[in-house]
Amino acid sequence: MRRSLVRTGTAVTVLGLLAGCSAGGSGSDSGRTVLQVAALEGGYGRDMYTQVIKAYEASHPDIDVQLQISKSIEDEITPNMKAGRYPDVVVLGQGRKAALTETLVKDKALEDLTPVLKEKVPGEDTTVGDKLTEGIVGNLNTNPYGTDQTYLMPMYYAPTGLFHNKGLFEQKGWKVPGTWDEMFALGDTAKKQGIPLFTYPTAGYLDSYFFALLADVGGEQFYTDVMTYKKDVWKSANARKALDITTKLLGYAAPATVGYANEQDFTKNQQLVLDNKALFMPNGTWIVGEMADAPRADGFQWGLTPLPAVTSGGKRYITTSVESVWVPSAARQKDAAKKFIAYLYSDEAAKIFAESNAIQPVEGIANSLSAENAEFYKVYEDPKVAALVGGFASTAPVEGVDIKATLFDTANSIVSGDTTEDKWQSALNEASEKLRQAGS
Amino acid sequence: MLVCLLPASVLFAVFMIVPTVNVFRMSLYTWSGFSPDMRFVGLDNFRHLLDDQQFVRAFQNTIALLVVVTVVTMGMGLFLAAIMTRQRLRGRNLYRFVLYIPNVLSVVVIAAIFSAMYDQENGLLNGTLRLLSLDGLQQVWLGDQKVVLYSVAIAMVWQSLGYYMVLYMSSMAGIPEELYEASALDGASPARQFFALTLPLIWENLRTTLTFFIMSAVNLSFVLVRAMTGGGPDGSSEVLLSYMYKQAYTNSSYGYGMAIGVVIFAFSFLVSLLVSRATRREPLQF
Repeated sequence: MRRSLVRTGTAVTVLGLLAGCSAGGSGSDSGRTVLQVAALEGGYGRDMYTQVIKAYEASHPDIDVQLQISKSIEDEITPNMKAGRYPDVVVLGQGRKAALTETLVKDKALEDLTPVLKEKVPGEDTTVGDKLTEGIVGNLNTNPYGTDQTYLMPMYYAPTGLFHNKGLFEQKGWKVPGTWDEMFALGDTAKKQGIPLFTYPTAGYLDSYFFALLADVGGEQFYTDVMTYKKDVWKSANARKALDITTKLLGYAAPATVGYANEQDFTKNQQLVLDNKALFMPNGTWIVGEMADAPRADGFQWGLTPLPAVTSGGKRYITTSVESVWVPSAARQKDAAKKFIAYLYSDEAAKIFAESNAIQPVEGIANSLSAENAEFYKVYEDPKVAALVGGFASTAPVEGVDIKATLFDTANSIVSGDTTEDKWQSALNEASEKLRQAGS
Repeated sequence: MLVCLLPASVLFAVFMIVPTVNVFRMSLYTWSGFSPDMRFVGLDNFRHLLDDQQFVRAFQNTIALLVVVTVVTMGMGLFLAAIMTRQRLRGRNLYRFVLYIPNVLSVVVIAAIFSAMYDQENGLLNGTLRLLSLDGLQQVWLGDQKVVLYSVAIAMVWQSLGYYMVLYMSSMAGIPEELYEASALDGASPARQFFALTLPLIWENLRTTLTFFIMSAVNLSFVLVRAMTGGGPDGSSEVLLSYMYKQAYTNSSYGYGMAIGVVIFAFSFLVSLLVSRATRREPLQF
């Protein structure tokens, strides 16, 4: 009796393991193409994906889209990917802690999606490329190797900049500063009233600040030089100017900032702005949803402004955060994946995404935005403000070198006085040079 | 007999020996963790480590944490165990229970508790200092680069103390009472009894727990640092394992991460050896 029980148990276990091993593969199932889609469940929620997939399957009965969605999607798909089971489509941007997208970019393990731009949007007469907002592709964000090939298709875009309480400015009769001189003058005025000028959630949020500042200081070419690690670029006068401005600004940081600038407490820094305990913080439009339930000062109203200009009337750039969709080169259903991605830019899909405040970079979408969102996206209408998309160019990994950490995290040490601007500049130059050599 | 050992040997080889050998092997390659493109670089990863100031800092932090946490935990564990065993304290079982609780809690829960306690504005610690009019002692516990490592160390001590105290209590309980009575008749004070009797008689237990504690502290520091500070501010609380994780998984330098793993392995092995040698004595028996 006992032996038969053991045998039965063993058989069940083996069958279970075999069943487990066979699950999750993409391929054809009774004539239908199975498309595996993995998506990050970010601030926009998960419902929009299920709705879009439902709509896609209704018009494509030969396709069965299987969605895997999670707030830590990297942790869920990585073990399968290492075992050779890749999803066909991944909606996951850069800048995440696990850096999965960046790793695949460095490995040159992404499918070239340039043909998708020429693909007709299903059910429409226009191509994907024609439908996308001008300038949203062809930058280092979508073309990470600095070539004409697009590997990361832009999925949602959001302006980032300095968020503040518009209500407080109205109440105090303060003007949102247009130049850095005005900014620091406001910092002195606010300081007298016990309100620090600046805070940041974590140092990583300074990406939206720094990228725009570099372009404001030295123009787009200088910005590109920094992002592509031009030799001695961090020794240049423009780089020094950007660091001068930043060091001065960090001198106005709320005292609580560094203590709360970690993964666990960052919302406390965001709360400083809601409580009128800090004037400005760098952030993106997702902040509205993220802090929707947080208490706030009377008359609080979200405001977004680009960084002040370096000189009066000077051009101002606004870093535009773009999340991406991509296809691993090892995916099995690459053609179906590309067609599905083309559909994601259809009017039908864009409407569903926009209802969850996930705004896609397609022409004319601004007209369909809700009042608060429309206000944020109006920032692009100012002729003196230009959108800036991108980030550091991808190179082969360099052991021990993370230039984003060197650029952003050092801000904590500047605020606390644990390092100097000179050392910061020197460390940036060293990191940039190592990456330049790795990229060349 | 050999057939009986076979399943265990196979499991040991598959789950212990092969992964360990793989760590050593991978440390000789540059590899991102995904790509089929693995390049043999020999000892280059180890050479890079020598020039990597962040690695040096993480190593220093790890050593500092190990020294501080080990000395405090072992010292306090022994002291409290001696008091609980030798003194007729009222509510002794309650103290033992309360001190043991942290060991049952998940490390992430402990991280959350201490983050709340360390909150610079609304935290228990600064709040108490304000209440006692000791405003000058208030700190930005997780934001000050000179303080943050000690803040993590306190959480580590709190988590481990009760467990080791209970271990030492059980050892001390086994020492015959007559020895203490005899030494008391000879005029030995409780402190003298502790150093001349208790400590030598539980020495073997102390040696074992010391090695065990040092190894577990390396792992504990990683989990607490990840949950409380993320290694920040600006790398000031980075420890070897958290730096290894960042290099292997965030900086796409898997081979380099494995080289750090090899260093951790060698370091742990060396520390165990040193502790074992330094604490070796003729065992005393009763």
